[in-house]
Amino acid sequence: MEDKDVRKENHTDSKIAGDGSADPRIIAFVCNWCTYSGADLAGTSRMKYSDNVRVIKLPCTGRIDPLFIVEAFKKGAKGVLVSGCHPGDCHYTSGNYHSRRKYATFRDLLGYLGVDLDRVEFSWVSASEGNKWVSIINEFTDKIKSLPGKSTDIFTKK
Amino acid sequence: MANTKIDEKLQKIAKDLLESGEVSLIIGYAKGSNPQRMRPVFITKAEEAGKLSFSHYAVQDLAVFLKKPEVKKFGKIGIVVKGCDEKAVNALIQEYQISRDNIKIIGIECNGVIRQNLADKGETGVSESTVYDKCLICEEHIPVLYDFLIESEEPKLALSGNVKPYYGIEKLESMSAEEKNAFWAKEFDKCIKCYACRQACPLCYCSRCIVEKNMPQWIDTNSEETGNAQWNLIRAYHLSGRCIGCGECERACPVNIPLMLINEKMAKDVYNLFGYKSGLDINAKPVFGVFSESDFNDFIK
Amino acid sequence: MARIGVFVCWCGSNIAGTVDVEKVREEAAKIPGVVSALDYKYMCSDPGQNSLRNIIKEKNLTGIVLAACSPHMHENTFRKAAAKEGLNPYFVEIANIREQVSWVHEDKERATAKAVDLMKMMVEKVKRDRPIEDVRVPLNKKALVIGGGISGIQAALDIANGGVEVLLVEKEPSIGGRMIQLDETFPTLDCSSCIMTPKMVEANQHPNIKLYTYSEVEDISGYIGNFKIKIKKKARSVVEKDCTGCGECWNACPMHKNVKSEFNVNLSERTAIYVPFPQAVPLVPVLDRSVCLHYKKGGKCQKCFDACGPKCIDFSLQDEIIEETVGAIVASTGYDLMDTSMYGEYGYGKYKDVISGLQFERLLSASGPTEGVIKRPSDGKTPQTIVFVQCVGSRDPEKGVPYCSKVCCMYTAKHAKLFAHKVHGSQSYVFYIDIRSTSKGYEEFVRGTMEQDGAIYLRGRVSKIYEDEGKLIVKGADTLSGNQVEIAADMVVLATGVIPKKGSDKLAQMLGISYDKYGFFTESHPKLRPAESSTAGIFLAGMAQGPRDIPESVVSGSAAASKILGLFSKNEYEVEGTIANVNEATCVACFYCQRVCAYNAISKKEIKDRSGKLIKVVANVNPGLCTGCGACVNACFSKSIDVKGFMDDQIYAEIKALAV
Repeated sequence: MEDKDVRKENHTDSKIAGDGSADPRIIAFVCNWCTYSGADLAGTSRMKYSDNVRVIKLPCTGRIDPLFIVEAFKKGAKGVLVSGCHPGDCHYTSGNYHSRRKYATFRDLLGYLGVDLDRVEFSWVSASEGNKWVSIINEFTDKIKSLPGKSTDIFTKK
Repeated sequence: MANTKIDEKLQKIAKDLLESGEVSLIIGYAKGSNPQRMRPVFITKAEEAGKLSFSHYAVQDLAVFLKKPEVKKFGKIGIVVKGCDEKAVNALIQEYQISRDNIKIIGIECNGVIRQNLADKGETGVSESTVYDKCLICEEHIPVLYDFLIESEEPKLALSGNVKPYYGIEKLESMSAEEKNAFWAKEFDKCIKCYACRQACPLCYCSRCIVEKNMPQWIDTNSEETGNAQWNLIRAYHLSGRCIGCGECERACPVNIPLMLINEKMAKDVYNLFGYKSGLDINAKPVFGVFSESDFNDFIK
Repeated sequence: MARIGVFVCWCGSNIAGTVDVEKVREEAAKIPGVVSALDYKYMCSDPGQNSLRNIIKEKNLTGIVLAACSPHMHENTFRKAAAKEGLNPYFVEIANIREQVSWVHEDKERATAKAVDLMKMMVEKVKRDRPIEDVRVPLNKKALVIGGGISGIQAALDIANGGVEVLLVEKEPSIGGRMIQLDETFPTLDCSSCIMTPKMVEANQHPNIKLYTYSEVEDISGYIGNFKIKIKKKARSVVEKDCTGCGECWNACPMHKNVKSEFNVNLSERTAIYVPFPQAVPLVPVLDRSVCLHYKKGGKCQKCFDACGPKCIDFSLQDEIIEETVGAIVASTGYDLMDTSMYGEYGYGKYKDVISGLQFERLLSASGPTEGVIKRPSDGKTPQTIVFVQCVGSRDPEKGVPYCSKVCCMYTAKHAKLFAHKVHGSQSYVFYIDIRSTSKGYEEFVRGTMEQDGAIYLRGRVSKIYEDEGKLIVKGADTLSGNQVEIAADMVVLATGVIPKKGSDKLAQMLGISYDKYGFFTESHPKLRPAESSTAGIFLAGMAQGPRDIPESVVSGSAAASKILGLFSKNEYEVEGTIANVNEATCVACFYCQRVCAYNAISKKEIKDRSGKLIKVVANVNPGLCTGCGACVNACFSKSIDVKGFMDDQIYAEIKALAV
């Protein structure tokens, strides 16, 4: 616990940094071409959505390593979203296809090892789907908030 | 010992291979100092071929040695394999770690190997209750690929169906997330990060493992809860779709983490998702080197 | 030690209205390594950029973070500004606090907290940025066009007219492709050879075009700007430069039976030494050694040799391999017709008078086997009734292919029209599923066939065709009236579906470009990059990409050409430096990276010691081909490959910056 408190002090916004389910941290790994642009579109369209999400941009879903999900959990994220171009729309033709295979398998593994699969979400959001981005974020945030306060996983210290 | 005819055949093949110069090293089994155990042996001279032997105590997957630089330097190698071990050879060929031209596969028909802990206690008979779980689900009693095949003289393994191999998987699958979490937290808590699982695995051939990489520090190296869980998860992830089920990691684990419950679960899921089983075809493309447009998509919104 | 500058943009009230920019600036200043933090009304304005440049200079910054609008808006603006002060432009990171914070959130305190987080992530990322140099690849300004049909010829002519040398390689003895086999073309009914022959001649005579007919590309290696190609020029047995095309040789050839003319789709015979058609370009015959008596009977027959005035027949000529280096390639290998033998009920191949659309073209053509008079292959009689069956193989996922072959509706309308024009009082019936006539003038054309030329269109499929007393009985359904129909026809023309040219998949593998499950080459992007293949420097044209008509093929040929001329307008090809990079020390050569790379950018590299002894094999990234997508990074178990600009340790640092 001591460890955690020190980190909190360094972290300026303790309000957001809470670990309870009331204000969970959500990390979204997104591809540059589709989902990041879709999220931008939500902005230019002045749509409103939950502010718990923090976006990490990568070139392609093909670059979003499943191990990032683990690292995000380890660093305290309550929910992790992975999002990229729809099948067939990948800017790099097949990055999303290759990753889909890995995610399907990795997700099974996470679930088998006791991670609550409600905490991992995958979506395809295109550059024109600002509204889909908004609903994905809002629904996912609501879902994470509804989980038990001390949702378990094997990656965080007890 | 019983299998003298098999030993004779084995020794003859090895002798011929070494004499003709077709291989310069043969990796096989020899009788151990304890009659209930067999040990690996490395034969480089034809006159030493007499050391080779095989029995239902030949548990180890010798393919693990193929990744060693000390072995690789011999160039052309012969290897004695059971059906399960042979799949590791195939996977290594698929992943360009060895060349088919450089390996002579001496395949042995195997009807199951006796669990080492039972053998140590004096168990001598192959039966449903004495062999490893992998033997109960084995579909490759005769290796899928070989240059020489030595057929078994023992009766086929009789299965009553009363013993459920890898029963733990079903049990775990039916548990809640919390229960699974509790189960694995307890198991991984035992882990001492010795990496014996990795060393024993024929397919963990990276010269520098991800756990030894620190830019970034992929895995906490200290042996505590989060680092242990991360290591075990990443090990299983890296072997998903690749593990051929030899069980050596679990056998090597000094703290008895049931690693095969993870490996077999992943093998099962990969087969259900993509119809792929590892190590069956040297010409097949590995499951994570390809994709299909119609791959499973239901979990993605 | 990092010296980071953080610049927080207000964007007027766009950001400052919802985010406490001063607070973001204050928080930035607290981060170790940040030596300057500033907030400003409009960072993208000239004064904004000037202050950014001044601070880079004054504080000797090693990296900058802009908390501002989306990187898709102004990343380049700020990179350029940084570069002007000598900072590597990739040491600029953007925290998107407008599109993804101020415009989408309302609670100022929470929005500010999020903006602070995003800024922190980028500070941690920029600390770990490494200098990246853009990659420059020199260009060999010469192009290769594979396939001399209309799209390939168009591409070659356009490139050549742009002043660039072109090699045009054609497998057949003549260029012209499928189009020169056609009679008249829809919807204007101009004769195909009248409009095609001049283009063929122009291609042959163009000073910038080198024509290789009866030749095939045998090997291709290298990458954009520097493709090494090997062309196999098959032995023609005729010395091209001496031949006058007089025809004495083929007139003298005793082999004028039993060899079917490929050009006339088996409706006539050809000799062993032959030109496929009278207007062939080049007008130089080819000796087909597989049937020539000279080769079959040990040199006895040499009638062509004796007949040849300029003595240009040389039986000893060998295949020749020509090596060339080109900077760009057009793949325009065209199409074949589907094998319709799986439609046993139609009797193609069994009944002589059931023919394909392409065969009907040859019957219509003045240079065809019947000199343009429509005659039945069986008895040479002129048919009075023809049934046209559309979608044979196309749009039939069960037995054929699911896609639409696109040209059949139109050529069938054309066939029915020309039949009406040529045989007065005749009657044609067309079985169709849907009529697709969507280009300029097409719908009117089909209407004309129905209304002026009296073709009867029946919506439905044909179930069976059989012969009865010299007639072909066609049984089918008219789904609009709900009746079964039976027509006694003199001839049946099947609108056979198109498939990629045989061997195009092999070529695609050689080129390292992707193709779909049918073998059609796939575009780099189906909408935005339709002329480009998945591999840089290789462009696509014509039916090799998928079914299309002549105008579309011409357009695609021109599109490929303009892409190449654009590429060649510079001396070097420049690619962003954010590409993959291999750690050779830890690479174990499993080549999963190569398997997942969509761009063929990974090859095997041998590392040898001084004495030349092989130490190890590792993966190697070709900077000309890599696009920096990072699929290889995920595929690598030992983490021995990474993508510049999105390195693993940077992503981990971003995650850590968010640690709760």
